[in-house]
Order: sequence, then structure tokens, then C-alpha cells
Amino acid sequence: MYIGSKSVSVNLVLFKIVCCGFFPLQVLNEKKLQEVDSLWKEFETPEKGKETAFLVFLFYTASTALVEGKLSKNLKKILKKIVAKDAHEQLAVADAKLGGVIKEKLNLSCIHSPMVTELMRGIRSQIEGLITGLPSREMAAMCLGLAHSLSRYKLKFSPDKVDTMIIQAISLLDDLDKELNNYIMRCREWYGWHFPELGKIITDNLMYCKCVRKVGDRSNFASSDVSDILPEELEEDVKAAAEISMGTEVSEEDINNIIHLCDQVIEISEYRTQLYDYLKNRMMAIAPNLTVMVGELVGARLIAHAGSLLNLAKHPASTVQLLGAEKALFRALKTKRDTPKFGLIYHASLVGQSNTKNKGKISRMLAAKTALTIRYDALGENTSAEMGAENRLKVETRLRLLEERGIRRISGTGKALAKTDKYQNKSEVKVYDPSGDSTLPVVSKKRKIQEVDEQDTEVAVKAKKFKAEMKGWLLYLCCCHVIVCIVQLGLAFTASHSTWVFSSGMTVCLKKVMILHRLTPDCSQDYKQL
Amino acid sequence: PRGGGGARGGGGARGGGGARGGPRGRGRGRGGGARGGARAGFKGGKKVTVEPHRHEGNWDGLGYTGRDWDGLGGDWDGLGGTGGCPLPGVFICRGREDALVTRNLVPGESVYGEKRISVEDGDTSVEYRAWNPFRSKLAAAILGGIDQIHIRPGAKVLYLGAASGTTVSHVSDIVGQDGVVYAVEFSHRSGRDLLNVAKKRTNVVPVIEDARHPHKYRMLIGMVDVIFADVAQPDQTRIVALNAHHFLRCGGHFLISIKANCIDSTAPAEAVFAGEVKKMTAERMKPQEQLTLEPYERDHAVVVGVYRYWVVLGCTGPPPKEK
Repeated sequence: MYIGSKSVSVNLVLFKIVCCGFFPLQVLNEKKLQEVDSLWKEFETPEKGKETAFLVFLFYTASTALVEGKLSKNLKKILKKIVAKDAHEQLAVADAKLGGVIKEKLNLSCIHSPMVTELMRGIRSQIEGLITGLPSREMAAMCLGLAHSLSRYKLKFSPDKVDTMIIQAISLLDDLDKELNNYIMRCREWYGWHFPELGKIITDNLMYCKCVRKVGDRSNFASSDVSDILPEELEEDVKAAAEISMGTEVSEEDINNIIHLCDQVIEISEYRTQLYDYLKNRMMAIAPNLTVMVGELVGARLIAHAGSLLNLAKHPASTVQLLGAEKALFRALKTKRDTPKFGLIYHASLVGQSNTKNKGKISRMLAAKTALTIRYDALGENTSAEMGAENRLKVETRLRLLEERGIRRISGTGKALAKTDKYQNKSEVKVYDPSGDSTLPVVSKKRKIQEVDEQDTEVAVKAKKFKAEMKGWLLYLCCCHVIVCIVQLGLAFTASHSTWVFSSGMTVCLKKVMILHRLTPDCSQDYKQL
Repeated sequence: PRGGGGARGGGGARGGGGARGGPRGRGRGRGGGARGGARAGFKGGKKVTVEPHRHEGNWDGLGYTGRDWDGLGGDWDGLGGTGGCPLPGVFICRGREDALVTRNLVPGESVYGEKRISVEDGDTSVEYRAWNPFRSKLAAAILGGIDQIHIRPGAKVLYLGAASGTTVSHVSDIVGQDGVVYAVEFSHRSGRDLLNVAKKRTNVVPVIEDARHPHKYRMLIGMVDVIFADVAQPDQTRIVALNAHHFLRCGGHFLISIKANCIDSTAPAEAVFAGEVKKMTAERMKPQEQLTLEPYERDHAVVVGVYRYWVVLGCTGPPPKEK
């Protein structure tokens, strides 16, 4: 090798590292290594380059080790091959550190000098010509791929922490909800043509669709068993309604189509619940503190609104408070009115729990602490949820204080405390009701007026208490139903006929009850016969 | 006679503008054609026209024919004029306010919230992105009247100090799909943003490494035509020289943005710039232009030069050392 004017002819094996691997190149013409400065001429064209250096062989391998100057397994293998071939040769490397490592591990002497750098430049400029069988497009693509993966490795990029998933999931959730609503409305309308009463009895959408899917035609309702879908009372109602329904008959084919639609609805509902679970998991993984503070849905919506977690972290707390209420905000700013107090934050549980008066204050406090947790999640290194829990505790304490202050003034005196509710007299005045004196069945106007008067004043009148030990049947006739109930022991009632008092302490109030026979101790005998 | 000067205009595929000799300290601020500031007030529906960027030096008023810069020596419009050169790939948008724009490689996307302008071109519409000279040193240099940035469609550019990728995106717009931009950035925070930019633009190769050790990323980068450096380090000339020795082809160009405060905060700015220029010449980097970035930045300068220029001259080696 050349140093100054000395000339030692040596067979050099050049070691070139490119994105796709190692290229041990052999220098063919050592004389050309004479002048460092004119070496560039040799590499002006691919052909000339080929004359100077010859590719030994190609090897693909990992580059992370190279970046740190270490020796990877594949590298060792090739170098051993070279050593085996020509032991007296010298290896030229571009990285001095790597050269040192190679020397100590494989006993191959390495060179690193300006001449080597020049050679490397030359080869680099003609790399396409030297490496046969690799088009430049592929080379570019490989370079790009390697650069990206190396960068990700450097930045410790983890695929869990990608917030694109959250944004897409929450948008999909909203879309699904809309679609589901459309389909369910369509299903109800369609099936309602055949069996309209079902829609009014079953309010829950999923239950409706499952029911329709199971039964199909209205006539099958009596025979089919829908107890696993519906609770018992509803089942009875439905079966009864099926008998006397006023919908029209429909053909088998139509029912089949409706059933297909119900299938779709059920499938989408299940997928929606699954998606919601997925969203919850991702939110906990990506932004645990934010989830603790405001909940998964609100957190996801905030991230989706801002575009990414990092963007959200850049917003000040006042913006976080009003994200989602931009239209109202700018309208109020333009017309010089009061600006809104909350945006998406309104749906957080803490804001929901407070009274209307305190919602504004709580939303501001919550937004302030939430902004801190967002920044911690987006830019911090750890992923624990302690900070979120602490902040939430602070906000909850403040909320409690606020509500207490509503009851108790902080700087109040006894006078302030005394200004409570207006005093209302709640004493009971008992007046003697003479209507119970006579046992003759008299229904006079006077009594009715009396009754009305009694009812209006809302003062309980106890004239005579009848304690009738009743064991038997009470026949209660109504317009279309006959309800028979067993009256238990200890029935007592007041003369106003408006309360039945059970001796055990329960009071059953039946106003405007049509009692065919007033129960008197005399009549009790009659009723025992029934 | 110095090998620089006149012969350069004649030979070589990429001659500099006109017959100029040696490095010049041109500290003029750009006056003409009030290039509006960062925010062009383009209201929707307003008629705007986009034209290729031309220096006001072309006083004969000839329209730019849209021909590619194909190395006609100093005589680019065949008229024998010595006016300034247009910068291919860079355009000026004229509307209510004028703005420097580049053609968007990824239509519909805004990288750092900048304004996008759509212009109807027959059936298709072409989108341009506004380039903010207060945020980008390269834009400030162009608006300041730099002669040649050497970054043109199809070029391979090594960008040192890429930060979050705002100027890198504009450079990527200029070089187009045929060119490559190798963006080197050491900071992890900015590196993440850079990765996002590189995801969208396939001609940007992100490298998250220290530019002081080019051997660490030698496997990712081929030979480049231009090095743009905006690293703001006291030893930035050495960094650029190291990278040039590794990756810059002979006759390639470099643009270095120098912040006087960063190199030496006690010395006056002109002295700092002169010192840097001297360091460059020692490393076989020949400066050709120097331009301060007033009014966009204070005490900043951009130096444009050529590396191993004797290649371009067809000489056999560097000139003999001067006494």
C-alpha cells in the first residue's frame, strides 16, 4: 500500500458496506493507488470502475450492529472466508473502530487512511455498475426501507403507541352507530307492517331484532319460545298481542328478507360492542392517564378532534376545555357575547355529576388537569396511570368543596346559617268526622262534598277506624277484568274510603276506587261466603 | 489567472451564473417585487397566477420558456444575455399578495399548516405550497436573491440538520420523484416528526444520526449532488467537510447556513463569516457566493460553493498552493 513515496505492492480487499449488505471488493490494479488525489478519475465511469475493483461476493445482513461498530455473525463468516483464501492480504475499512474489532477477533490487519476514503468514494459513485444484478430502483427502495427501520429502532418506535388506531376506531364507532340506527328504524318499519304492536311492546332494539329473527311470522309467536330473549312479562304481552294484531299477512319470501336484515343488525351490534372493547384497550395502552381523567370515549374524541395525541398535547388547557364547541365560540366572539363554557369535555363523568351552576367551574378545572395528563401521556417516558388518578382525586375534592359551599357559606355567620327554608307548619289537626256514626248506607251529596272537602284540605280525617279482621276474598269488579285478590289479616280502613291500612304498617292508597260494597263489620260475613 | 473565474462559465454541465470570479461578499438585502411575508392572503376563489421564479436581473423581459436547465453554459436563453438565472422547481404565486411556492408532491396534504394554493391547468389542477422565509433559511436565501441553489428536479441532496422536516418537505417538492433527499437529524423529538414527513414522501430518506459521524450512516447514502447544512454548531464547517469527503461527488455543491452567534458570539458577524469561509477553502471547498439573510434573520449568512471544483475545469488536480 502507498504511503507517500513508498511503494509496496499488496493485494487489497476492500470492504464496502452499502444498504443491502457487505461487498468485499478486490482491488485489481494497485498501481492506480499511487496518487490519492487522482483516484477519482478511475471511478468516473462504470467501466473504468470495474477495472479497478472487482466484486468478490455479495452478502445481505443487519446494519444495526454496524452502526455501533460491532461485528455481527454474518460479517464474521464472510471475513473468515476471506482469511481462509488469502491470509496475507489486508482489509481496508471505512470505520476505524470496526477495523480494530476485526483485527482483534479475526487477526486480519485492517487499514484506514485517506486513500481508503478515496477508494470508498469511487466505489460509492459507481456502486450500481459494480454490483451486477441489482437495478437502481430496488437499491433505492432498499435504502429507504433500511433507513426507516433504523430510524424506528433509534426512536424506539412501538406499534402500540400509534394513535391512528384510536382516531379510526372512534370514527368507525360513530359511523356504526348511525348505520345501526338506520337499519333498526327500517326493520321496525318493515316488520311493523306485519305486526305493529311488537314495536310498541319491545322498546329495546336488539331484543326486537332477535325476537323477529327467531320467530318470523306472527303466527309462530304462540308456538315459539322466546324466553331467552325476552323477559317473562313482555313475552306474555307479545303472545297476547300476536293473537289480536291488526297487521297484514306477508309471504314467506318477505319474511325471509326481513330476517336477513335482522341478521345484519345483530351482527353489526355485536361488532360494535367488540369495537368498543378494542377502543377501551387501546386507550388504556396509549393514554392511560387521559382515560382515568375523562373516560375512554371522551378521551378518544378529544384525540380524534385534535388530529393526534401530540397535537392535542400542544393545545393549552383553555382550548382543551372548548374543543368541539368552535362554532359557538367563534360566533360568540364575533357578536361579543358570552363564550361557551365546555365542548367535548361536557360528556366527562365529573362534569355530568355536578349541578348546572358548577358545571362551568368544574369543566375549567377538569380541562386544566386534563391538559397536564395529556402532555404527560404524549411526551413522557413511563406509561403508568398514577398521575391521572392523583389529578382526578384533586378535581373530585374540588367538586365536593364546591357543592358544600353551596350549602354552607365559607365566611358565614349564624345569621347566614339561619337563612334556611321558609318555616312551614306541618302539624296535624284532627277533626271528628261524624259520617261514621250511622251504619245505614247513605250516600248523600253532603257527604260527597264533605269528602271532596276532606280531600282538598289534605288533612287526614280519622272518624272511626274500622278494624275488620278479614280473611277471605275481595271481589273487585272493573269494566272488563275481574281481579280477585286475597286480603290478608288485619285490614283496617278509614271512613274516608281512601286508604286501606294494613295492621302490619303498610298503607295502600286507592283513590277513586269504585267500591261496590262498603265493607262494614256486618258485611264481612257475606264476603266470607265468596 | 485563477482557475476559478471565467473558465468556469464555459465548461461543465452546471456552470454558475455568468462570469464571476471568486467568492463575493454580497450583503444586499432583497428589495424588488415585495415578496409578501409568511401568510399570503389568498381568499377562496380569488384569481391567482403561478409563475416560475426568476431573478429581476433578467431585464430584457423575456418569458421563461419552461425549458429544463440543460447546461448551455452561461447563455441560457440563447440571447447572449448575462442576466440572472431562474431557479427551476421554485415558483412565485401572484395574487393579492405574492408568495414563494413549491409544487406539492403530495397534493392535499399540508406539512406544517402552511397555505396551499390550487391552480387550474386545463383539466387538471396543480397544488402549490407556500414557503415561509421566516421559518426556512433556504426560502430566505432565495428571496434574498441567491444566484443558484443547485437544488433542482432530479438532484440528490444531503440535508444536514433536518429538524422537523419543514424545509425538507420543500426541498423534496423541488427535487421531485426522480431526486432523493437524505435528511439527517439527531434529535429524537424532531426525528419523530421527520419520520412522519418521510412516511408521506417517498423521496425523503430519514437518518436519525449525529452528522459528526458520517461513517455511521454510510450504508444509507449514495453519492449526492448537493449538501445543504443548517446545523447551527460551532464546528459546522468541519461537519460539512467530513460529510462532503464521504458523500459529495466531485464538482458537487454545498450550501451552508451560518449563524454568527452560534460560532462565536463575541466577534462581529462579518468576521465570523470570513473565518468560516477561510476554513472552507482549507477543506477543498471553494465558496462562490455569500448572502446575508436580512430582513428575515439577523446575523445569518448563507454560503454557496463547489467541492473539488477542479473536476469541473477539467484540470488534473488542485491549483498549486498559493503563498
